[in-house]
Amino acid sequence: MYKLIKDPYTNEITGVRTSNGACIPFDPANTDYQTFKKDLADGAELQDAEGNVIDGIAYLEELV
Amino acid sequence: MSQLQVNRINDASGGVLAPISSVMRNRIINGAMVIDQRNAGASVTATNNTYCLDRWNMNSSVGGSYYTVQQNAGSVTPPVGFTNYLGVTSVNTISVSGTDSFTINQRIEGFNLADLGWGTANAKTITLSAWVRSSLTGTFGGAISNAALDRSYPFSYSIPVANTWTQISVTIAGDTTGTWSATNTTGMFVWFGLGVGSTFSGTAGAWAGAGYRSATGATSVVGTNGATFYITGVQLEVGTQATSFEYRQYGTELALCQRYFEKSYNQGTALGTNTFLGAYTFGGSSEGNGNSIVPISYSVKRVAPTLTGYLSAGTSGSWNYERSGTSGTGTITFDQTSDRESRAYIAVGANWVVTFVYGHWTASAEL
Repeated sequence: MYKLIKDPYTNEITGVRTSNGACIPFDPANTDYQTFKKDLADGAELQDAEGNVIDGIAYLEELV
Repeated sequence: MSQLQVNRINDASGGVLAPISSVMRNRIINGAMVIDQRNAGASVTATNNTYCLDRWNMNSSVGGSYYTVQQNAGSVTPPVGFTNYLGVTSVNTISVSGTDSFTINQRIEGFNLADLGWGTANAKTITLSAWVRSSLTGTFGGAISNAALDRSYPFSYSIPVANTWTQISVTIAGDTTGTWSATNTTGMFVWFGLGVGSTFSGTAGAWAGAGYRSATGATSVVGTNGATFYITGVQLEVGTQATSFEYRQYGTELALCQRYFEKSYNQGTALGTNTFLGAYTFGGSSEGNGNSIVPISYSVKRVAPTLTGYLSAGTSGSWNYERSGTSGTGTITFDQTSDRESRAYIAVGANWVVTFVYGHWTASAEL
């Protein structure tokens, strides 16, 4: 399960948090970010910054 | 002015010494297995695509426990000149087939290979060497490959005597085709097979347009419960001969490792240990959004790293806080992360005038 991280001052989505608390920045060369995108493609659950489940595949298409 | 021109210099026993101009010639980081930031010498069960000793990745493609890795497992005497080794112990029995893949591997950053000229007509020859030891005897295998896993060169080597250190060396003509990164992404995989199925095994001694990780017919360590495979002194260098191992100063080797992984804990302390030593402590206040904000700095990483916070008691994902005599724990979130610093929010509750927060962190920018 992943949860988006939102900068509380700019409301910018800057990364994603894993279920064990690791915070992955949206850097294309970060291998955890690459794994996150693969997991989304494989159907992993994604929550927005408020904890609502959102469409991971649709979000992935926004990232690509 | 006179000049001295020689191809190589031998030591008194005939061994080849490094060319005078060659500094930092070993492209492998932590080849002497000295640095173990994550586990501090403790044993870890291999899961797929996770790291054990610094820079060394465990590949275990089949779900379940098949091997463990530990710095100096079994406490045997390392080869002369070394104090540490990476020790693999099989803890199960599996008959590998198809796409099964059990390896120890290192991914070398493209920046550190750019001078090899691979993928061009000027590709340089390299030599990979290491000290290996196993409870098994026979022909073992490994490979090097590119990041896309569409170019690879399987190799084999012999361990003729059980439980005895053997020095191995493999010379590989540079690949004149294929894509080999010369930037901050993976430039090369160096694989040591522990049991690899036919899909990822190829003919030793030849380039192939495939992602092989070992040589066909190689001994399977994970095929025998209790079997061991130890390795140290891994060196990958330009040239046709293995030169003496380039033993770097500890601080230099640690700094090289910290481009990919760094922690707040003492070097001798494993991640998640219950300890205040090294825990970051910051005083401040919380704002209306309920967060206390902490700057986190680290040595420059390969990329913006994945950051994880830990309670002083060891649990990941939270930090401790104190506010007006009350202790608690709050979720820690890192954002606006660059390759050298990040900003952490700890959820302590809104509008506290004085709080202080503390905990540990790790930063991972592994390949």
